[in-house]
Amino acid sequence: MKSFVTIFSVVLAILFLFYAATPTFAGSSESGKKIFKKNKCIACHQIEGPAREKTIADQMKRKGPELWYAGSKFKAGFIEVWLKNPEVIRPMEYYSITEKNRGDHIKLNSADAADVATYLESLRSGAVKPVGIQPAVDRKGRIIFSKSQSCYGCHQVLSRRGRVVGGLTGPSLIGAGKRLNPDWIYAYMTNSTAFKPVKDMPIYAGILSNTDMAALAAYISTF
Amino acid sequence: MARSLFITVMISTALTLLVAGACVAGAASAPDNYRFYCAQCHGLEGYGDGPNATKNQPVEPRDHTSAYEMGKLTDEDISYVIKDGGIATSKSTLMPPFGKTLTDAEVTELVSYIRKLCNCSAR
Repeated sequence: MKSFVTIFSVVLAILFLFYAATPTFAGSSESGKKIFKKNKCIACHQIEGPAREKTIADQMKRKGPELWYAGSKFKAGFIEVWLKNPEVIRPMEYYSITEKNRGDHIKLNSADAADVATYLESLRSGAVKPVGIQPAVDRKGRIIFSKSQSCYGCHQVLSRRGRVVGGLTGPSLIGAGKRLNPDWIYAYMTNSTAFKPVKDMPIYAGILSNTDMAALAAYISTF
Repeated sequence: MARSLFITVMISTALTLLVAGACVAGAASAPDNYRFYCAQCHGLEGYGDGPNATKNQPVEPRDHTSAYEMGKLTDEDISYVIKDGGIATSKSTLMPPFGKTLTDAEVTELVSYIRKLCNCSAR
């Protein structure tokens, strides 16, 4: 009996430690969906796939990034943090050549941010396969990014001296490692049309090999 | 019998033409493609002043209105650059490859459009 009490106590202690160490993430997907609807987020963000855009005009009608695969695209926890403090990711207004991003995205309180994040993280796409890309400062990835394809032409990055450099039309890649699921970067490179059939970034499938794109995804994941 | 066959053939032909027309309509015009893809760096009017032409970039995008600069390139050169990127004519890799993004017909139309911007031809 005494040994039973001891084992029971140890199990309880382990369970307590486990839950205490796990970050609280008490968001409710159902509630998040309601908040999403109430705030009219749907006016800018598409939450149902698959992508249906066929022409440039179709894409230009979109006012914000599609979120129907948000749970596959973003790293767990990122959406919640971002919704509480929405810092500019795209320097320009969505697909605009002339207008800078005004940085006026709606800001949510902690409870709402947790709920909406839980809801958005439940939206996933089978086009993102768990290939297991790991962040790596790979020579090949670095050469493709900085030399052979010059991705910084459209995407902001930090220079070696820590200065913000690069173009403005693509989403900034500063902090991409904290924001994006490495497997999503790979999926987006190799099969971009599954996510965005019409986009202003060139299609690289057929230009870079899958091995090159895996190296590139691993490299971007270190940003 | 012959009449119903005639009607069937006519309807099939009309449908085929409709589908073919829809496919052609799916390809974007050169000005639309230019504004969507090229203007990011080359600017809406082609002056090389798009939003990606920031001060910290190692080279400036080509000014497509410059007859002097654009006259150095043949139509083939421009076509190669659009499809394979700047590296195709030993230019900057900041010009990315659009060969898997645009159809050959769209590239040809873009070359003509760019020639209108510079109001020039190859010297």
